[in-house]
Order: sequence, then C-alpha cells, then structure tokens
Amino acid sequence: MTTDAAEPRTDGVPPHAGHGPVAQTSPATPGRLRRPPNLGLDRFSGLYVWAAAIVIFAVWVPDTFLTTANARVVAGDQAITAMLAIGLVLPLAAGVFDLSCAATMGFSVTVVMWLQVHGVNALLAALITIAVGAGIGALNGFIVVELRVNSFIGTLGVSSILTGAAYWVTNGQQIVEGVSVNFLDFGGFQWWGLPLPFYLMLVLAAVVYIVIEHTTVGRYLYAVGGNPQAARLAGVRDRRLVFGALLTSATVAAFTGVVLASKLGSASYDVGLTYLLPAFSAVFLGSTQIRAGRVNVLGTLVAIYLLATGVKGLQLAGAPVFVNDLFNGLALVVAVALAGRSARRT
Amino acid sequence: MPGSALRVKGLSKTFPGQRALADVDLDIAPGEIRGLVGQNGSGKSTLIKVLAGYHAPDPGAAVEVAGMALHLGAPGAGDAAGLRFVHQDLGLVPSLDTVDNLALGRGYETGPTGLVRWRRERVAARSALERLGYDFSVRRPVGELSVSERTAVAVARALSRHATPPRVLVLDEPTANLPDTEVDRLFSLVRSVRDSGVAVLFVSHHLDEVFVLCDTVSVLRDGRHVATVPVFGLEENALVELMIGRRLEQHDAPASVAGAAGEVVVTVSELTGAVLAGVSFEVRAGEVVGIAGITGSGREEITSAIFGGVPRGGTVSVAGTALPPSRPDLSMAAGIGLVPAERHANAAFLEHSLRENVSIADHGPFRRHGLLSRGRERSDVAAWLERLDVRPPGTERRLDALSGGNQQKVVLARWLRRTPRVLLLDEPTQGVDVGAKEEIHTLVDRAAAGGAGVVVASSDDTELARLCGRVIVLRGGRAAEELHRPDLDADRITALTVRKASA
Repeated sequence: MTTDAAEPRTDGVPPHAGHGPVAQTSPATPGRLRRPPNLGLDRFSGLYVWAAAIVIFAVWVPDTFLTTANARVVAGDQAITAMLAIGLVLPLAAGVFDLSCAATMGFSVTVVMWLQVHGVNALLAALITIAVGAGIGALNGFIVVELRVNSFIGTLGVSSILTGAAYWVTNGQQIVEGVSVNFLDFGGFQWWGLPLPFYLMLVLAAVVYIVIEHTTVGRYLYAVGGNPQAARLAGVRDRRLVFGALLTSATVAAFTGVVLASKLGSASYDVGLTYLLPAFSAVFLGSTQIRAGRVNVLGTLVAIYLLATGVKGLQLAGAPVFVNDLFNGLALVVAVALAGRSARRT
Repeated sequence: MPGSALRVKGLSKTFPGQRALADVDLDIAPGEIRGLVGQNGSGKSTLIKVLAGYHAPDPGAAVEVAGMALHLGAPGAGDAAGLRFVHQDLGLVPSLDTVDNLALGRGYETGPTGLVRWRRERVAARSALERLGYDFSVRRPVGELSVSERTAVAVARALSRHATPPRVLVLDEPTANLPDTEVDRLFSLVRSVRDSGVAVLFVSHHLDEVFVLCDTVSVLRDGRHVATVPVFGLEENALVELMIGRRLEQHDAPASVAGAAGEVVVTVSELTGAVLAGVSFEVRAGEVVGIAGITGSGREEITSAIFGGVPRGGTVSVAGTALPPSRPDLSMAAGIGLVPAERHANAAFLEHSLRENVSIADHGPFRRHGLLSRGRERSDVAAWLERLDVRPPGTERRLDALSGGNQQKVVLARWLRRTPRVLLLDEPTQGVDVGAKEEIHTLVDRAAAGGAGVVVASSDDTELARLCGRVIVLRGGRAAEELHRPDLDADRITALTVRKASA
C-alpha cells in the first residue's frame, strides 16, 4: 500500500483517490484509455509520501516520533541544508552548477570565527564574511562567464581552493574560543520552541520564491536554463544573469555560514563539505515536485523535510546511523528516475 | 538493363497531408556522375532520406543496387548493398582524428589480443586519402582540417569497403559550405571516384557545378521526376525551366502596397558577416522586403546579423541611430524583432508553457512594483493565442505539445505583441504545414499593413513572391540583383539565385 503511494501514478487512478493521504489502487477500469484526471499525483507525490511516512512512523514508534519535541528537532536541524539548497535554486534554474556553495559556507564559518577571535565585533565580522562570500560568487561568475569554463568544473575547482583556504585560516585547528557571547546567543535563540535559523530559512525561502516565481529575473533564469540561445535572441542578457545567479548563491552560502557558525559556536575547516550532497539532492529531488520539471523553492523544501522525516523516523525505530546517507541517496535516485519516466510517457 | 548501379522504380512517399514523392524512376550506370536538381520542396531530400533508409517509402517501390533488391526503410540495408552517403554536414566527429572517424560505424582492425592495430589503421587511412588525392596527417583532429579535407575524410569513409565494395556514392549538397578554391579539389575527387567505376549521385543547388561536373542530370519538381537529360549541349535556361515548370501562380496575391511605403525604419549599410560581404539596403514602414539566395549566399545569416544575434560588421541604424552589434536586447529596445530560423535551437522553450514563451520578450504590461501578475499575463497571452488561432489553445500548455506550425505562431505572437517597427523573419514557414503557412503569410501582410517594415529571408522562392514588394537576391555574400513588383515571381527569383556568380 505504501509503496504504491511512492509511485507517481498517472494511469488507472480513480478520481477520489487524491483526497486521502495514500493513493488507493482500486481494481477499476484498467482497460479504459481515457486520460485520467490530473490529480497532481506526480507533482505532489512528495507531499503524499511525506504524509504517508508521518502516519507510518506515528504508528510504528508513537512514543518518540509523534511528539512536538521531535517535530521541532526535524524542523530546526534541516534549516542550514535548506538555506544552502534555496540559494542553489537560482543558478540551477539557469542551468548552471555552483558546486562551491558548501565550501563557501564552510569557509565563511571559519572567517566569521577567525575575525571575532582577532577582535572584530560580531556584527561587523558577519558583514565582512557575507561580503567575502559575494566576492567568491563574483570569482565564480568571472570563471564561468568570462573565462567560459564549464560551471561544473569551475566551481568544483573553487570549492577545493576554498577548503584549502579554510585550512590555512584555521591552521587545521578547531576555533572554539574567543567568540562573542552575543553571536552565540543569536544562533541559540528560540521562538515557539523553534530555533532562529528555521525562521531565517523561511524568510530566505519566501524571498527567493517571490523572485523566481513572480519577477522578470525569475522568468529569465528559467529561460536561460531552458534554451540559452533562444533566451539571448529574446533579449535576455544571459551572461549577466548567470553571473548574478552565481553571485547570489555564494552570498546566500556565506550568510548560511554565519548562521551555522553561531549555531555551532566552533569552526573547523571541513565543516561545509558534508552539506554539499544533501543540498544538491534536495534541489534535484525538489525539481520533481510542485513545479515538476523545474528546480523550485517549494519542491526543494518538500524534498528536504520528506527526507528528514524518513531518516528521523528510521533512526527512532532503531536503524543504525548510516541509514541517513543510504536513505537520502536511494530516495533521490528513485524519485528522479520515476519523474523522468512519467515525463517521457506524456 | 542489368548494368545499372542504382535503379529506382515507382518510388512514392506520402507524409500526412502531403505527397513528397510521386512515382519516381531513376537509373544510374556505373561510372556515371548524375546531378539531381530541383527547387526547395521538390522532393530531393526526401528521396535521399528514403534511399538512406531513414524514411520508409509507400508500398510498391523497388530499389536495386547493382542488380540486388534493397530492403527499403531499414537503415543500414543500403550501406550493406554498397549504397554510400556523404551528407551535407558530413557526419564527422570534430574532436576525433581521421583514423577514428573512418572507424566510426565499421570498427577498428584488431589483433589476436583484441587490441587495436593502430599502425595498420593509420597506414590504411593514409592510403585511403591518397587514393582521393589528399595527403595530410591522419592524426590531427578532423575539426582542425580544412573543409575540403574534411569532405575527403567523409568520402573516404563512405568508400571504405566494409562488407561490400561501394557501388553508388550519394553526395548531398557537398559544396554548400565550401570556398570556391576547394570546390575544384572536390570535383577532381569525385571524378576519381567515378573513374573507379562507382556511380555518383550529386545533389546540388548550384547549377554551374552541375554543368561542370555531371554527365547527366535528373530534375525533380513537386515530387515528380520530370526529366533526365545529358548535360552536354544543355542550356542553363532550359534546365531552370525544367526545374520551375510552367505552372501558373494563382495564389499570387498582391501583398504590400508598393510605392505607398512610409518613412525609412531601418538602414543597413555595408553589412558583413561570416559570408556577407557588404550588403546595403533600406526598409520603409509598411513594406515587405525579401532576401533570396541559395545556401551559402549569406541569406542564412542576414537577419540574425541585423538583429545582433551573430557578429557583424557595417552599420544598422534605426531612426538615424546606429545600433551596437551583438546586443539583441538593444536592438529590441530600438524596435526590432526577429523570428529566427531553426525554431527549436533559436526560439523555442519547448518545456515551458505557451504563456512563458509568448511573454518572454516583454513583461512590461503585467509588471507592477517589480512583480508579475500572472492573471494579467494569462489573459494577455490568451488573447494573442486566439488572435493567431493557435491550436490547441490554453496558455498553460507546454510548447512541445503543439505542431510545428502552431509553435511557429507562438513565436510570432511573441514578437507581434511588441508591435515592432522592424520585423525580421528568417525562414518563417520552415517545418510548417500548408494551412499554417498561409495563416502566417496573412499575419506578415497584416504586420506590414500596420506600419512595420518587414524583412523576410527565405529559401522558399514561392513564399517570397507571395509576400514581398521587392526581393534582394544574394550571391556570394553580396546583393547581386533586386526584383520589384510587378516583375516579381518565384521562377524569376529562383533563376536569379542559381545563376552563375559573375561578379
């Protein structure tokens, strides 16, 4: 039953199935070739699966899973990954990779801490760090737009450079002392039981959502991602746009780094890299959701919280630690493959 | 006649709503160079595609290669029978060298251990080129070779004996991208192929080349084989007459009102590009100017060069102000619009909605405080889709769900919405069915009547005759002739485009 719901069904689904959290497969009318009514079972499959996962774990491990504390933990833990992923939506919409985003975030964590250790006040340190992030974005833009290096390769190189630079700044040591108390309070602040990063993530998501869905810039990004030559011949300044997208994603990554630093209260040079794959997975998995076929903000959020719910539930049910990576990878491949299949069928 | 290298009998091909080939017979002897000529749409490319196994013909056709019946509609069958092709784009991989390109499709010679015998492959490649009269390093990437050298690689590959020796070599527009100096080299290559007993079918728009190279020439018109005649003693005018026939132009509606045109909207002077070598003209409000020319004449790049889509030299000015090159956005701001050729590459966002495809060139009307109003956008686009009778309608439908003709109308809507002062159209009815073609022509008439200066570049001379008040004929990158209504008809345009370059 539940595995059925995981598949984006487009055929033989009775019209009432969409109202329940789980798509019922009734034995009705397999022979009719009439096009089934569009229930959004493909576009919204993530939401259905998410609901199904919540129900399953609620039944399976009710004592620990179905608690407000658990909901808060899931919501808060994913805020950093979500911010990074939302920043990535912009370049990916234009068909450009920014593989350096996680390294930019990690580098920013070390920079903002190092500055404070060296006597810069917290706010100024944060602003400088974000400006440095913008500089990294400009470097990415220069490499991709002016030097015409493939974005996948160019930003991969920058990622490695930044990881090296972070090591250099920290000397390979963790920075744990000399950080302003206000800075740490900022990261530890809670409101209605949810940590501040969660709210910052919501604000960021709202801003990027509006830009990408409701402004000319968003349209142009998708146009460049869809067909750069056609976009250029329709008056879109594609090169400038790609530059701007890379600049923005790096700036967002740096901001995320500042938030992460205040949350962690420590900095080690390799803190960013573990976030790279989850962020990309979320955007790609998200591109099968809500606005199917396009990277988009809401789909990305659905993907992040769907995966987090699944992983958390399995952990509470007693699964070992490595289930995290296993589940994330599996879900990404299966979901994108299924979405590709249903797209080819139409 | 058992001696035929290639014999085609009763070949017809029907596409939905259109008969592309009707009962074509051809017979080519070994060691003969046969020209194949005809206007655009006469069925040449369909014939080649049927022979190559890309299209299956209508039932009842028979093709024999050296006396052996060919299994039709199966790619690879012709190759096995000795029927070989060199297509216009040559089909080479630029990053690979000659040895690798020759091995594509047939594989490498390997030793007992399964490793490639590179030395032997290189020697074989070099001698294959030598037989064609070429000598260059077989280890250089093909992309670095000159065009005639590349053509030689493609010919060598076509002639290499895999299972069977080659019997017939089909050359499809091999000179379209070739500079004049290299054409002679290609011709001696073709002659040496002929001398080895292979029959050659040479497809070309350039009649002068047919006269220099071919022994005989077959003419297709409207999908029918009208004549096969020896080239010796043939007059150029007689051949042109065979190509265009003696039909009446009944739908030749007077399009724009010549003479009553308004002020100059765009001035093009000394325009240069990859092929263009100094073309100057003016377009007035309300007039439709045609650009004719065979492939390689500069016709393909002229609209894009004016718009700034490809690099250009010379000046383009609108209302007295010169426009910077390579800036489509500024050209648009000055009031120019371009419906480019090859829609899928240059204009279509196939996976996006019709709404986004139409509105992309101007979001102004539905932007308030920087935000787009989707409701306003939808109603505006819906009105345009209705005005242009796009079917099926529906602003949220994906563009790739539409037929070619309707896709083209969507692209037209994108530009007509802006009410451009200058509307540039490149092959406006490429890949468009007959009904939609007429509708698009009407839309062009209306745009001109509404005061736009229109430039139409087209390889379809009937289309130019239908639309234009005057037609500029390009040859070798220059404006060679200019025809004005009423001395303007498709036959005359065709005759001028294929005339030997004398200038």
